[in-house]
Amino acid sequence: MNVTFYFMDSFFFLVILAGALAGASTGLLGAYVVGMRMPFIGICISHAAMVGTIYSILLGVNPVWGPVIFSALSSMSLGMVRPGRTRIDANVALAIFFNLMLGLTFLGIGLTHGSRSEVLGLLWGSLLFVKNSSVVVITISGLVFAVFAALFNKELKVLLFSRTIASATGVHESFVYCFFLALCGLILAVNLPLVGGLMIFSLITCPAAAAYQICKGHRSVIIMATVFGMASAVIGFLVSYYLDLPTGACIVIVSATIFAVSALYRTFRGQWN
Amino acid sequence: MTGGDLSLSNVEVRWNGRNILVVKEMHIRRGEFVGIIGTNGAGKTTLLKVCCGLIKPTRGTVTLDGCDLAGLSAWRKANVRKHISYIPQAAEYNADLPFTLRELVAMGRTSTKPLLYPLNKEDYEIVDHWIERLAMSDRRSQTFRSLSGGEQQKALIARAMAQDPEILMLDEPCSNLDFNWKYQITEIIEQLHSESKITILMVSHETNLLPEGCKRAILLHEGGILADGDIEDVLEPNSLEKAYRCRIDILKFAGRRYTVNKS
Repeated sequence: MNVTFYFMDSFFFLVILAGALAGASTGLLGAYVVGMRMPFIGICISHAAMVGTIYSILLGVNPVWGPVIFSALSSMSLGMVRPGRTRIDANVALAIFFNLMLGLTFLGIGLTHGSRSEVLGLLWGSLLFVKNSSVVVITISGLVFAVFAALFNKELKVLLFSRTIASATGVHESFVYCFFLALCGLILAVNLPLVGGLMIFSLITCPAAAAYQICKGHRSVIIMATVFGMASAVIGFLVSYYLDLPTGACIVIVSATIFAVSALYRTFRGQWN
Repeated sequence: MTGGDLSLSNVEVRWNGRNILVVKEMHIRRGEFVGIIGTNGAGKTTLLKVCCGLIKPTRGTVTLDGCDLAGLSAWRKANVRKHISYIPQAAEYNADLPFTLRELVAMGRTSTKPLLYPLNKEDYEIVDHWIERLAMSDRRSQTFRSLSGGEQQKALIARAMAQDPEILMLDEPCSNLDFNWKYQITEIIEQLHSESKITILMVSHETNLLPEGCKRAILLHEGGILADGDIEDVLEPNSLEKAYRCRIDILKFAGRRYTVNKS
């Protein structure tokens, strides 16, 4: 009995800690991804990471490097899709890239022999099977991104407002943007096995979109997006645990609910702050 | 003020197999106020973007204070462009973000500081000076998205001036504003030019928006320069009729020129 309680405590602690860290880092990343009006880039990179992992498993190589390399390559390619510089709309280019990644994902799943649980786990995530090492990696990647956001705070603000203004007025826009995309790829790649390729998109968009609804000032957006991301993951997990429901689905629904409440709050508050 | 001298030589911009801008020679001297006018699709915004290096010409050179923008690496180009302030059209910035007015104006100080250096007290003194100068002190902590269209334009001008620029480029700064705000915004731009003597390039498709201080105009038509010179010589019926393909009369009132369609 005591052994069971001990197991439950450590299990709870680890899962909640991992969920909170994953939610916080994706929420923080989302504040920039949503603010730059490019949530599609997030989903494209997360699917590229998924493709990298699946083909690493298929080829029998270390599944850590596959997603990192694939997401880094896709980040760099997407960095070249710039408004006004490509012959097709940036969103159309991203949609094509996303479809290609989705096609490669399902091709990889189709080519997998034997048990597909490991590969399918990438789609839905496996928060309940989290390891200590995952928590360490997520913490380090989240801290690296937070340090980057703090160091390049003034440049990132201009990029959020307008990449055209940033570029025209001598802000080192290309450098900061490429750096940002590379870290975006890193965060998504390390959170993918835990959160899942399908769910990570909601953790990037919903908490940040909720923060943009109710906040005033850049700093409060960053803080609230991180808090909302963390709350989505923790509350979603607790709901799923106590009601015996799928964890990923609960986290998505909680994050969407946070957005809905924020939107209602702004509507009833009756002002555009 | 040491810079603000801009030259274009044999510039061509091709897009989808056709020339959308051809400029043989164009020289803008330090401290000039130049109005860029023309019909829709004449190449006004393209010319402005070529001047600040946002569009790389297919051929030719764009020289800013002796540096060829096309030949520079992204890093060096950014260093040269620190002296350019640019106010784009509304579609090119995200007005829905909850930046406060002070945060927005402070963005103007970004390129004056090296990477990794945060803004300091002096920067915020400059920011507050421009907020006050444009009579927006009571809006300081309000969000940009809650301001009216005219106030947003004033905020963007404050951001541009906080950069302490040598060239100010404005792309249709009065579009979507009512007539009173159009007048106020152009008055502000004229005052800034007379006080600071910076080079100003202002794109406008309405000739009456070019203030008295604007002494030179460039009339674009189908991607080429139809007329370039003293505003009195450029804004005359013959040139404008060629560009707009209708009968035109120019009415002058309070130092401004109103284009009237006579047909």
